[in-house]
Amino acid sequence: MSEKLLVVKDLSTTFATAGGPLPAVGGVSFDLGENETIGIVGESGSGKTVLSRTIMGLQPRTNVTVTGSAQIDGFEVVGASENEKRKIWGTEVAMIFQDPMTSLNPVMRIGKQIDESLRVRLGMSKADAKARAIELLELVGIPSPTERYSAYPGQLSGGMRQRVVIAIALACSPKLLMADEPTTGLDVTIQAQILNLLDELRGRLKMSVILVTHDLGVVATRTSRIIVMYAGRIVETGTTRDVFYHHRMPYTRALLESSPKVSNHSHTRLITIPGRPPNLLKLSDGCSFAPRCKFATDQCHLVRPELQPSVEPGHSFACWNPLPVNQNEATT
Amino acid sequence: MLRYVAKRLVLLFGIVFVISVGSFYLIHLLPGNPATVILGFGASPEAKAALYRQLGLAHPIYLQYFTWISNVVRGNLGTSFISQTSVAGTIRAALPIDLEIIVLSQILAFATAIPAAMRSAKRPDGPVDRLLGASSFTLLSIPPFIIIVLMVLFISIKLGVPHTGPSSYVSFASDPLGNLASLSLPSITLAIGSFVVYYRILRSDLISTLQEEFITMARSKGLSQRRIMWSHAFRPSSVALLGAAGVNIGGLLAAGFVVQYLLAIPGLGYTLITAINMSDFLLVQGIVLTVSVGVVVINFLFDFIINMVDPRISRE
Amino acid sequence: MSSFGSPSDSLEQALIEEYSIVERPEKKKKLGLLFWICVGWIGLNVIGAVFASVLPLQNPLYENFSAINLGPSLHHLFGTDDLGRDIFARVTYGARVSIAVGTGAMVIGFGIGAPLGMLAAHRRGRFDAILTTVMYVLLAFPAIIATIAVLSFWTPRSLLKIILVIGIASVPLVYRVIRTATLNVATKDYIIAAKVQGATDRRILMKELLPNIAPVGISFLLIGVATVVTLEGALAFLGLSVNPPTPSWGNMINEARTVLAMNPWLVLFPSAALCFFLLCLNFIGDRLRSHFDVTEVKL
Repeated sequence: MSEKLLVVKDLSTTFATAGGPLPAVGGVSFDLGENETIGIVGESGSGKTVLSRTIMGLQPRTNVTVTGSAQIDGFEVVGASENEKRKIWGTEVAMIFQDPMTSLNPVMRIGKQIDESLRVRLGMSKADAKARAIELLELVGIPSPTERYSAYPGQLSGGMRQRVVIAIALACSPKLLMADEPTTGLDVTIQAQILNLLDELRGRLKMSVILVTHDLGVVATRTSRIIVMYAGRIVETGTTRDVFYHHRMPYTRALLESSPKVSNHSHTRLITIPGRPPNLLKLSDGCSFAPRCKFATDQCHLVRPELQPSVEPGHSFACWNPLPVNQNEATT
Repeated sequence: MLRYVAKRLVLLFGIVFVISVGSFYLIHLLPGNPATVILGFGASPEAKAALYRQLGLAHPIYLQYFTWISNVVRGNLGTSFISQTSVAGTIRAALPIDLEIIVLSQILAFATAIPAAMRSAKRPDGPVDRLLGASSFTLLSIPPFIIIVLMVLFISIKLGVPHTGPSSYVSFASDPLGNLASLSLPSITLAIGSFVVYYRILRSDLISTLQEEFITMARSKGLSQRRIMWSHAFRPSSVALLGAAGVNIGGLLAAGFVVQYLLAIPGLGYTLITAINMSDFLLVQGIVLTVSVGVVVINFLFDFIINMVDPRISRE
Repeated sequence: MSSFGSPSDSLEQALIEEYSIVERPEKKKKLGLLFWICVGWIGLNVIGAVFASVLPLQNPLYENFSAINLGPSLHHLFGTDDLGRDIFARVTYGARVSIAVGTGAMVIGFGIGAPLGMLAAHRRGRFDAILTTVMYVLLAFPAIIATIAVLSFWTPRSLLKIILVIGIASVPLVYRVIRTATLNVATKDYIIAAKVQGATDRRILMKELLPNIAPVGISFLLIGVATVVTLEGALAFLGLSVNPPTPSWGNMINEARTVLAMNPWLVLFPSAALCFFLLCLNFIGDRLRSHFDVTEVKL
């Protein structure tokens, strides 16, 4: 693999809340090469949204502590001031937000919302920016972009709005695109369109993408590697194939079993994960998944397992009682 | 949008009708025979006859209203029996002073309230916000007639700033700078009252707008804070502000009355109070009608501005 | 070093939703010392106004020409005016007018506006539609100008007329506030449940709705009293309230302005009395409003 675009080392994000410190992300390390897509998967509450925003440096500026390191193309995000980070936002790294209903300014014409980045960040003239904005609208597959240019977000459907959000993110040709649940707020039929669009654009524009989702189906065919998160920590990571077929962590298996698959017989009962995600304010010293895990032993409840390598290269997991190697193919 | 406009227009006409009936009926609130009250006991029979004709007092009340309103629509508000001058003419002479005070005060109020609210909203509960909050709350409790008296006491009397004391009004035509000076205290007084209202409303709306996802999105584009504040947060936060400004106009006029009264500035307010004291009831009626209709029409215009600022409203 | 990041930034919102299990510890709401100081001050004003004639005060109307325009002293705490009257006594008696107009007008305003507002919000339908339209039309009419107009024509002026005019002028506003507050409660499940169980209108209004909108009503009432007191002050300042020599804070300030350069004490004491009174009322109203977490009500 060539030069690393993103290197994350031991990254932690802790919020100061009324109930005490809340460790939303703890000790996360991974890297991402150029033109690569990585998936971050977990239930709601696993810290994946916080992680993606922390990597970008977009966390709120009060009541939050970030430690560790996140370097985007050599730029250290952790500890950088808002003014310094502003230089990489949009041009080096951009984000596609979860809900296109709330992430577009409702009282600003969509053309202006795209223009703005071009004019402020790239110093384009008004006319050039408009021409480029219409190009971008066309690129993300919006029909009659010239008319849409002067529409308000309220006049567009959810899918169209998400395309606009993508156009805004792409405006300054970032090298790294963070997509935080980009399809959660959309109809199922639109979801695939948006994901395919993202995939196609990544290839054409030579970007790296971090795809954050709770839906394993989304990442299955579109990522080279997957990070599985639970309670703010990485519990398993590896190539997409390894995570799907050679996973060792019981949580990964539970997550796979709980997502519907086309290959299932109709009326197959989905297996749900018992219990609820843990309260991050009251984490035990042990494995955070232990209370919901059927393989849990005393050790699991007392000592937290660290990530350890599995047999395949680049595949690691955090578990005291991992599933045996090569036993998983049968279950999936 | 068109439906919305039509609905508002119907409402506007309804309100103007109610106002006209109310203003018309004011004359009949006077105890005793209107002609005697208006003209006094010593009035000549000719004068009484003239008043009877002018007000149509011999006819049933709905006909009186009809006669009156048809005159009003043609811009004829009657002739004052006290000063023997046209009521409409007196109002036309006084009105520009009120408008000047209001425009000056609103420029001052917005020019201070908007930056102050933005400063507060940047760090809610920070030291600046707390200070601004406490001072605006205190100012809220000081009525304009006290503010103006204190300002006259300290600025015109103790410091002796020219043209600012009572009875020192200078017209714009004779001395523009002196005119500005003589309207400065009234404008500042009204501006203080407006500032408090605008600051509080804009602050709370900005705080909630800044928590919206589209602000985080704007941040992620790498825009400066100033730009985010002005071009992303301000407009969606200004709907309630504009609504308050529209409603505030009525209060401003009334506060303006008090201020003009103290300084003897010959605007509508001073004219009104003098007319009340001299029992010039036709002039009072004319001013009340003009001011009320003016306030309602201004409110109506603000509704449209709000609509243009936030396209979501008429669509709902 | 400025920032937009408030504790409840969008991300934390997302976080709270994501971790719906994060319990936010119930904030212990306290009214605070300042609140009770304000309550005490208002209480003192009310007592002074009610018992002014019993308290060991000088006669507020007694003119002593051998002691005019005196500064504050032991004998005259706030000094004397240009007719030699004791300012302390006049300020104390002046509270009577302000408090009488403030409470009297609000009694009328709430007496008419509150039941109508509750009934309209409870009944809905045509009754509500018609009444609300009428009230909104009246609300568009500038109340202050209407008050000035009516009071200038309806002579001779008396305390009762002033209370009546301001009280009636406040009805549409009270109606709107109470109707909105009732609507918020009336759509809650337990009220609907009571309706379904066949509770009588009277029972729902008195036992279910009233206790729930009372906090809104009380905080609005206090802020309303402050507004009316300001209005009465302005009317008195314009010479449209009770006739001199009866003292009121507003007409004292009005009289004092003619001797402003000579005797500034004369304007400072009634102004301070009025401002502190308003400040305390506003503060109590505002604190109660945030205590009961009411955001709908705007004056």
